[in-house]
Amino acid sequence: MKPANHFVVLTAAGLAIAGCAGFPDAETTAKSAERMVNEAHTLGAPALIRRSVQDDSQRACSMIGGTGGGANLSQEQSAAIVKAARDSIQYPASGKLSGDWKTGEQLVTDGRGQRIVNGQVEKLPYNGALCTNCHAIDPKEVNAGNVGPSLAAYGAQRGNSEAVARYTYERIYNAWAFMPCSNMPRLGASGFLTPEQIAHVVAYLIEPGSPVNIKP
Amino acid sequence: MKFSNRTAVVCAVAMALTMAGGTAAAQGKADDGLALGRKMLAEDNPGDLWVERGQRLFTERRGPKNASLEKCDLGMGPGVVKGAFAQLPRYFTDTDRVQDLESRLLTCMVELQGFKREEIVRNRFGTLDRDSDMEALVSYIGAASNGLRMNVRLTHAKEREMYKAGEYAFYRRSGPLDFACVTCHGESGKRIRLQELPNMTKAEEMREVIATGWPAYRGTHSTVRTMQHRLYDCFWQMRQPDLGFASDLSVALTTYLNHSANGGEIKLPGVRR
Repeated sequence: MKPANHFVVLTAAGLAIAGCAGFPDAETTAKSAERMVNEAHTLGAPALIRRSVQDDSQRACSMIGGTGGGANLSQEQSAAIVKAARDSIQYPASGKLSGDWKTGEQLVTDGRGQRIVNGQVEKLPYNGALCTNCHAIDPKEVNAGNVGPSLAAYGAQRGNSEAVARYTYERIYNAWAFMPCSNMPRLGASGFLTPEQIAHVVAYLIEPGSPVNIKP
Repeated sequence: MKFSNRTAVVCAVAMALTMAGGTAAAQGKADDGLALGRKMLAEDNPGDLWVERGQRLFTERRGPKNASLEKCDLGMGPGVVKGAFAQLPRYFTDTDRVQDLESRLLTCMVELQGFKREEIVRNRFGTLDRDSDMEALVSYIGAASNGLRMNVRLTHAKEREMYKAGEYAFYRRSGPLDFACVTCHGESGKRIRLQELPNMTKAEEMREVIATGWPAYRGTHSTVRTMQHRLYDCFWQMRQPDLGFASDLSVALTTYLNHSANGGEIKLPGVRR
């Protein structure tokens, strides 16, 4: 055997051993994991089972080792996610982007909605906006999470101009239009909140009368 | 007698949790009060009652085949419970599958004792009215590894497939809220409301999470919950469809998470909110 052939044989043997002791490659893993996801959920209507199916943006935001903010995205992926997010944004029929802060106050501390037990979705008149699960908002509220940044004095710092209302509305409607793969759910785009509900949350965040913006 | 014991325990736990919560609110901090509550509970862990019951269920002849579980091979040989928790999930030749503790017990209860699979699955999680045999058995087998260290080995190709699938699933975002496990469990020092979230990408935090609970006595549930329940609860909160009990997806996640806890000293059952 020529030395070159030796090399080929040895390399092949080495690869075979590595294959035995090593991990499956990314493609094989994706295939088997997706099969497992497909088989894991059997209870409930097809529309509920389909919640485990990803859209393109979710798929791009699922990179192994990645965290919120999508640091590993390519520029093309980033642009595609932002475009899809921008295209998703719809506004209240009234055109009012800042609604009633008192209604908003009820929504921001409400962490319920759309959870499934035994194939049945919890029955509620509306979904909560989930905000305080992750954000400190009302300075007097101790029971607030810290997965997202504090929003205390949000409006006191920014005012309640039309531009601030629009930015805040869009950011809640689809956070990925501003920060692709952010941990924050795309609350409007997924239909979890209605445009009117989002406008109420905007009011709670920006209006001067809201507890968020009153100096403690 | 059993009932009054249980009631006393539930009351003691409720008190401890209330005191813990009060301290937390007073300080405006989550961890100190909860740590105190856990310490109080750990000194007299109600989960010990589940361990005792689990031992009885393991050794008693039960089911249509009137058999005990003393021929159940949890990976250490028939009937050997010591060290079993430390090395699970693992591959089993007879089922040709990677199985976690619950799915392996399910196999044993069906094959050795003749119980109906659907029946075990229906009663997998205890309620206030009905104890779960699964929760008791898992408590017993978990506690039998106390003092040992987590050691999931990934020697079989199917174990490595499960591990990688679990890692993939950990980062896989889906559903109306775009959540993956990593959304809440990718950074240290984070909370949902006052509930602290372990960073599951960090081995030191995982060693604590896995090796000292699940199984864990949950004060708010008044029962011991298992890892299968912990994952089910996360999927529920993530707005995912019900996570199938003993599904490959659940075993894959447990393989990934338990392996990342290797080296953690086992002290089970744990105590959790």
